[in-house]
Amino acid sequence: MAKALIHLEELWKVYPVGPGVAALRGVDLTIEQGEYVAIMGPSGSGKSTMLNLLGCLDRPTRGRYWLGGQDVSGMSDDQLSDVRSRRIGFIFQSFNLIPQMTLVENIEIPLFYQGIPRRRRRPRGMELAAMVGLGDRLDHRPSELSGGQQQRAAIARSLANDPLVLLADEPTGNLDSQTSREILALFDDLHRRGRTLIVVTHDKGVADHTHRIIRLRDGLVDSDRRNHLRGEEA
Amino acid sequence: MNIFTGKLWDILRLGLHSLVAHKVRSGLTILGILFGVWSVIAMLAINEGGSYEAQLALRRMGSNNIIVSSVKPPEESGASAQSFGILEYGLAKKDVARLRSNLPGVVRCVVVRRTQKYARVAGRSISATVIATEPAYSQIAQTDMVGGRFLTSTDYLRSRPVCILTASMARRLLLYNDPLGQTIWLGSEPFTVVGIIRQLPLALAGGASDVENYIVIPMTADLARFGEINIMVSAGSETYEKVIVSQCILQMADEASVINGATIARSMLQRYHEKQDYEVTVPLEIIEQIKQQRRLWNFMFLVIASVSMLVGGIGIMNIMLASVTERTREIGIRRALGAKRRDITVQFLVEAVTLTTFGGLLGIAVGVLVPWAVETLLRFTTIVSASTLIVPFVMAVAVGLASGLYPALRAAKLDPIEALRHE
Repeated sequence: MAKALIHLEELWKVYPVGPGVAALRGVDLTIEQGEYVAIMGPSGSGKSTMLNLLGCLDRPTRGRYWLGGQDVSGMSDDQLSDVRSRRIGFIFQSFNLIPQMTLVENIEIPLFYQGIPRRRRRPRGMELAAMVGLGDRLDHRPSELSGGQQQRAAIARSLANDPLVLLADEPTGNLDSQTSREILALFDDLHRRGRTLIVVTHDKGVADHTHRIIRLRDGLVDSDRRNHLRGEEA
Repeated sequence: MNIFTGKLWDILRLGLHSLVAHKVRSGLTILGILFGVWSVIAMLAINEGGSYEAQLALRRMGSNNIIVSSVKPPEESGASAQSFGILEYGLAKKDVARLRSNLPGVVRCVVVRRTQKYARVAGRSISATVIATEPAYSQIAQTDMVGGRFLTSTDYLRSRPVCILTASMARRLLLYNDPLGQTIWLGSEPFTVVGIIRQLPLALAGGASDVENYIVIPMTADLARFGEINIMVSAGSETYEKVIVSQCILQMADEASVINGATIARSMLQRYHEKQDYEVTVPLEIIEQIKQQRRLWNFMFLVIASVSMLVGGIGIMNIMLASVTERTREIGIRRALGAKRRDITVQFLVEAVTLTTFGGLLGIAVGVLVPWAVETLLRFTTIVSASTLIVPFVMAVAVGLASGLYPALRAAKLDPIEALRHE
């Protein structure tokens, strides 16, 4: 258990609306280093809540969340910010690049909040941009890039801080099927290099790429199984 | 990791970035602060310049002097003081003696008798104010000799018929001839010109703004030749006045004895004079009044300036709030990528302060130019001191901090999850 990258113990999230809406009702879950996991479920099943908690954007009402051997469930806002800046890489459905910043500046943002000076950020930003095939677009603004390019930039950004885990929220939701395939190929590639990926999606095609599919229903884990299509090679 | 070391420059770049991204909006905000700062500087500079000029004029009156003047008392029914058609009022020799001996710290005491006479030279006749006085007058009035000499004690003791002219009087009477040694006629009496002074000190002009057209003669000569009764001819009728002493100037040892002496002089004169036919002028008191007035004005200007700064501040707050709303999603992204609340606060504060700093600097530039223009075009003294520049600038930066704080804190308080969802 101590070795697990992510370990959830009786995790509850209750929103203080009216009588209290329980979005998660005692979830137990363990994800190991290097896994490629999909979290699925109908809307209202607690997917988003799960993602916010795993991404340390929110705190559980009850229960424990161990990330990389560290209990983050009782951390302060500042501590959580620190965890996000060092251990988590976010990939969003709508890319979420900052429009007035150039591509390379966007990639550098997590390093900026770690307090790494510009002259050390820049080489890393350029290297990551090259890695996702955007080495010749460093000074472009997000509006000058296609959706696929923007998402590749966002993936580069999520890797900037060399995180423990990549959290992707419907990463292909805004992309056409061709571009989606490219992005998923990139994910596969990252997984092969040993990255831990957690993808929240309702797209069966995306989930099929992963090695483990966790289904949520009514705030609980409904099913958790190896993906038969890919599972064996993990 | 410390925000205030490596990050500050980055955050400043970030702030400049987004200010440049909204040029018109930033420009208008800067303009608001610019006008605020500029108006404060201009007001302070003109105010300080004005009071400096006034103080300078009063210093020339002599801050160590107490000036007691005779003034025509307010008309009373029955004209009780009029005996045989002669109006008698003002200071008497007794008063002068009392003042001289009872006020502690008197250094000099000079008596002036002012009359209106016709001065004639070679058929030209000019109405002139004649100052009959003592030789010590020159020490108190700090007369500025252009040529010749002032009255001497011999002139005084022997009642010599000599006179000193102001430069413009000499020009009007004697044209451009060398005035020294010439003879002019006052009434039917000849006087020899022995000296020329530039002008009469303002204080001794007796409230008149004209300091240029005077003739100074020994007091003894005046009384011996023209007597104590002064005949004034105006509008075809003659008035007879008897004023022995028009003005008594007491030069005091220091400023403390001026204040003290003025009080004594006032109460003493009040005791011996039934009517208010005298006036005690203390330049030092007026200087103090001007200083106090200036402080009041400066305070009022500061209040007015604060209002204009407040308006500028509201503008900034408005813009920053709009900016926060517009960039809610950006804030969410930054928070998700590891920005602490503090980082967000600092980012927006830096933007606000950057705006006001620019506004302040431009305001200083314009604020220096305008007093300069006022001075050269309107010949009005302005004083731009360091504090005149620094105070409004610091105010501007403070306004930036104060008005940027609320939007910045609001930005920092946003829930990252909500902010990320914001369209």
